[in-house]
Amino acid sequence: MNCELAHERIVTAAYGELPDEQIHELERHLRTCAECGTERERLLALKVLADANPVIEPDANLVARSRQRLEEALDALPPKRWYEWLAQRMMNNFAALQAAPIGACLLLIVGAGAGVLGGYEVTQSQTARFEGQPKTSNRRPVVLEGAEIASISSIARIPNSEVVEVTYNQIVPKQMEGTLDDPEIRKLLMVASQNSDSPTVRFDSVDLLVEECRARHSCQATGIRDALMVLLRYDQNEGVRAKALEGLQPFVAEDVQVRNAVLEALLNDNDPKIRTSAISILEPVEADTSVRQVLHSVANSDENPHIRTVSRQVLSRVPQFQ
Amino acid sequence: MTTATTTEGSGRGKAGQAGLSTAEERAAARAPEMELIRQAQAGSRSAFDALVRQYEHQVLRLALHLTGSEHDAEDIYQEAFLKAFRYIGNFRFECSFYTWIYRIVTNLCLDQLRRKKTRREDRAVLVDSSGDEIDVLASVSDERSYSNPSRELDRKVLGARIQAALGKLTPRERMVFELKHYQGLRLRTIGEMLSTTEETAKNTLFRATKKLRTQLAELRS
Repeated sequence: MNCELAHERIVTAAYGELPDEQIHELERHLRTCAECGTERERLLALKVLADANPVIEPDANLVARSRQRLEEALDALPPKRWYEWLAQRMMNNFAALQAAPIGACLLLIVGAGAGVLGGYEVTQSQTARFEGQPKTSNRRPVVLEGAEIASISSIARIPNSEVVEVTYNQIVPKQMEGTLDDPEIRKLLMVASQNSDSPTVRFDSVDLLVEECRARHSCQATGIRDALMVLLRYDQNEGVRAKALEGLQPFVAEDVQVRNAVLEALLNDNDPKIRTSAISILEPVEADTSVRQVLHSVANSDENPHIRTVSRQVLSRVPQFQ
Repeated sequence: MTTATTTEGSGRGKAGQAGLSTAEERAAARAPEMELIRQAQAGSRSAFDALVRQYEHQVLRLALHLTGSEHDAEDIYQEAFLKAFRYIGNFRFECSFYTWIYRIVTNLCLDQLRRKKTRREDRAVLVDSSGDEIDVLASVSDERSYSNPSRELDRKVLGARIQAALGKLTPRERMVFELKHYQGLRLRTIGEMLSTTEETAKNTLFRATKKLRTQLAELRS
């Protein structure tokens, strides 16, 4: 055994993780190598020193306070919607299936077999129907004006004929009007804020959602607050992120998740205007040291001198923070 | 039922049987917990509360020792259990619930340690009896005039030096050292919690102890 390996094994042995046969080998080496013997003494001394920083059991008040705060947060969570329950159930069933591979394989075989058989039966019945029909089929679908073809699902040639069956999906433009109180309108706005390619559409939808939040019309229960946090973190357009930040301002004091999202924006957003806005909306928050820590970091290391100055000014009002 | 513990000198066969029944007993002991988890996954709040009660002390102990702050420990506790509540449906019984919840807590603690690393560390200061500040990070000269330094002060100074040395480790090294030295977990469990291998956890522990020895060399002398 060389000394480098011995040094590693000394650490493992000191923490009771070395297999017995390797302990024996190590002991043999230590009997002959004074340097490694000293190394072991040093490690044991380190262990004693490290115990000068003992682990303290949390006191009953801390446990009670933490539990109380957790219960309040859990009570404030919105109830799961029916489709969320359904999706969760399906995921659990899928997971149970994953844990039972033989059952999963059997299910796959049975399902595939049923699918093949069913497809064969359908094809046969369609062939029988088409045999008496003229060669030109009347089954051309009506294509709506302005409706795009989104995708083609399948193409099948009817056996023993020149007829081809194409299954396709169409995008049908539609319009809807309603107030911001209308859940359907809100749903569409949330989809627009996250799925639109156009930054203008995303900005307009976020603007309306922020207005809804400002009026405090069930902002949390409908998921608007979560949507704004996602936009603040991930949207590519700085106008959209700035608008999302504006919408989250009323909730910085009461919602830890919102506060964390704003702190992340302060640390990581590459737009200085957004970082400056983030500082200005950080109200004094009792008992949250994260705010002070992030402001310290920004005051010392932000690349923008104005932001460093503003952070220091806010920190100078330290008694308002804890 | 065969006893779970083996005594020294028992034959390999007996030890093997005892080991098997230990595993069986462990599985049996976990059965009530698995039932609680299933109920919590089905939406039972009381089942989730029971799980919280089982693990809250360990979570707070770890967070408190790592952060040194009751407020930060509370925040980590809050975030960890809220995350557990939100994602308990994703728990697949591939590991123990203990490992799963600790994985959440260690990730939160790592984030906390990384955030602390981005700012200058607050220097640990103590105030002596004359009201002067003592910077415990600087080497303390023997000529400095303390009036009767108490053992308590020495212990606090030493504790602060250890904390400062721990603060110089990378977040991952700090976490592995914390989980091994202070929490007494096995390296394999630590690897699972940090989503890495036992070997990597072992190497990280080795690096951490090496760095700590260098930092604390002057204390020993």
